[in-house]
Amino acid sequence: MKTLLHRIRIHRTRLAALFTLLALGLAAGDAAAVPSFARQTGQDCVACHIGAYGPQLTPYGIRFKLGAYTDSDGKDGKVPLSAMLLGGFTHTAKGQAEAPTDRTGTNNNLVLDQASLFVAGRANDYIGAFLQSTYTGADNTFALDNADVRMARTLDYGGTDVTVGLSVHNTPGMQDPFNTLPAWRFPYVSSSVAPEPVAAPLFDGGLEQHVTGLSAYTFINDSVYAELGTYRALPAGALDTLGLGRDSYPGKLDRSTAYWRLAYFQDLKKSAFSAGVFGFDTGIDPSGDGSGLSDGYRDLGIDAHYQFLGTREHIATVNASYIREHQSRDATFAAGGADNRSGQLNEFNLNASYTYDQTWGFTAGRFMIQGSRDATLYGDGSASGSPDSAGYVLQADWTPWGKEGSWNSPWANLRVGLQYTMYDRFNGARHNYDGNGSDASDNDTLYLFLWTSF
Amino acid sequence: MPKQRFSSVAAAGAAVLLVLAGAAAHAAGDPRRGADVFATECAECHSVKAGKDKKGPSLFAVLGRPSAANPDFVYSDAMRTSGIVWTAERLDAYVTAPKRVMPGGKMKYDGLADAAERADLLAFLAAQH
Repeated sequence: MKTLLHRIRIHRTRLAALFTLLALGLAAGDAAAVPSFARQTGQDCVACHIGAYGPQLTPYGIRFKLGAYTDSDGKDGKVPLSAMLLGGFTHTAKGQAEAPTDRTGTNNNLVLDQASLFVAGRANDYIGAFLQSTYTGADNTFALDNADVRMARTLDYGGTDVTVGLSVHNTPGMQDPFNTLPAWRFPYVSSSVAPEPVAAPLFDGGLEQHVTGLSAYTFINDSVYAELGTYRALPAGALDTLGLGRDSYPGKLDRSTAYWRLAYFQDLKKSAFSAGVFGFDTGIDPSGDGSGLSDGYRDLGIDAHYQFLGTREHIATVNASYIREHQSRDATFAAGGADNRSGQLNEFNLNASYTYDQTWGFTAGRFMIQGSRDATLYGDGSASGSPDSAGYVLQADWTPWGKEGSWNSPWANLRVGLQYTMYDRFNGARHNYDGNGSDASDNDTLYLFLWTSF
Repeated sequence: MPKQRFSSVAAAGAAVLLVLAGAAAHAAGDPRRGADVFATECAECHSVKAGKDKKGPSLFAVLGRPSAANPDFVYSDAMRTSGIVWTAERLDAYVTAPKRVMPGGKMKYDGLADAAERADLLAFLAAQH
């Protein structure tokens, strides 16, 4: 998302609106958990989600998503509506230089991060949808959030199941079934008012909810997953209508914009794992009319996950991903927004979790962003011009419902969690990263959240 | 005793004998280990609580039960017309290779190849009544 920020340094008015949108509306936008799917399938939340709460998927959840959200218990009359509330208290080691929004202070903010409505369920045996619209309390906005409409069918080729499907969605990578790509990666929920590093690959949120993507995928014999897709930017008028703001228009995407994905998955019942590769390649013309220069982004990634499931009393997971992005900045350079015509960013994420009795969860994650320096491009947050940031995220959570026999299952779910983010490098340095004496650890964030869905 | 009633009693007796014979055949199964097998292989979609249907029907007292016997559950046509009675042998064969025993069935499960685990599972299910 921060690469967008850089490009839009050309247009300062856009910058403010987009930064607000991304930092507030989307930082918490990872969160999603929908009991309407549980009601549709007759399943408990634990069937689809590790730890009884979304979005980390079990093998059953992976198949449900790839099956276009259509699996059901065969009974009619299910209403595909859900709602979700996420609120929390955010404390940073030092107060932020400026309040994140005009509705918040510089520190110790108690905020309704998200109030979401979902249309999530099946239309028929082959078509289903997951549509989320979200009110963000920190900036008092309501906008379209995650959207994914799918069509899929499973065919039998000589005893081998082959699922083929189409997905229309609004965020690159959100259609992926594994929790390793940025859209659904740990941390699955985060404060909407916490400081964030200035740089990230475009594929990590840079076009979130601002595009329309169409991809075709196949899932062969429950093991080989392949996908190919393309994206177009939503017009400024459409973004305005959807509550995202006309000024957040990212520019025109090349017609050659492509996303591809190949992964190998195995569900061994007692455990499951996947390993894969993916790529996202686009050019963005900030002028929007195709007449200007473009910035090019080529993201390549590898990822893997492992789940020890056993009897589900003790569950352990490991997720890892690495993205390498090459940027060609012709448009930004010509507009004076960058010192260099090209550059690169590397992003590494690794996290491991343990869940006891599908109720008590503990997760530790490591994140690293490294890239080439550019004093102008990264100059707003980094005195050295380095985009490097790194740190840890620790989380403990309690999810009392969502299991067989839980209170009001499958109508309600709840998670209470404590998350701590520690930075050992922020915007290029451990100490005095902004030239004003700020240390990376000043941004360490404690986030106490309550997350419920029904 | 009316002839029809006698026939029903005889059929019920035969079903009980079949179940007992099946249970004896799987006497080696350990229901405690079977509970773990159930948790790993089955519990996502099935409960052993009476009347608790998930994606699959409740497996409470499944041994000896005719197929598609739960009026509140939506079975596949294949299951409804199969005429199967879930003896231990039938259930063992079904758990081994569901699609072979029930072509056209709805259960999305590839089967449990390990005979010892199946025996444990059946011992666990036999205790659910």
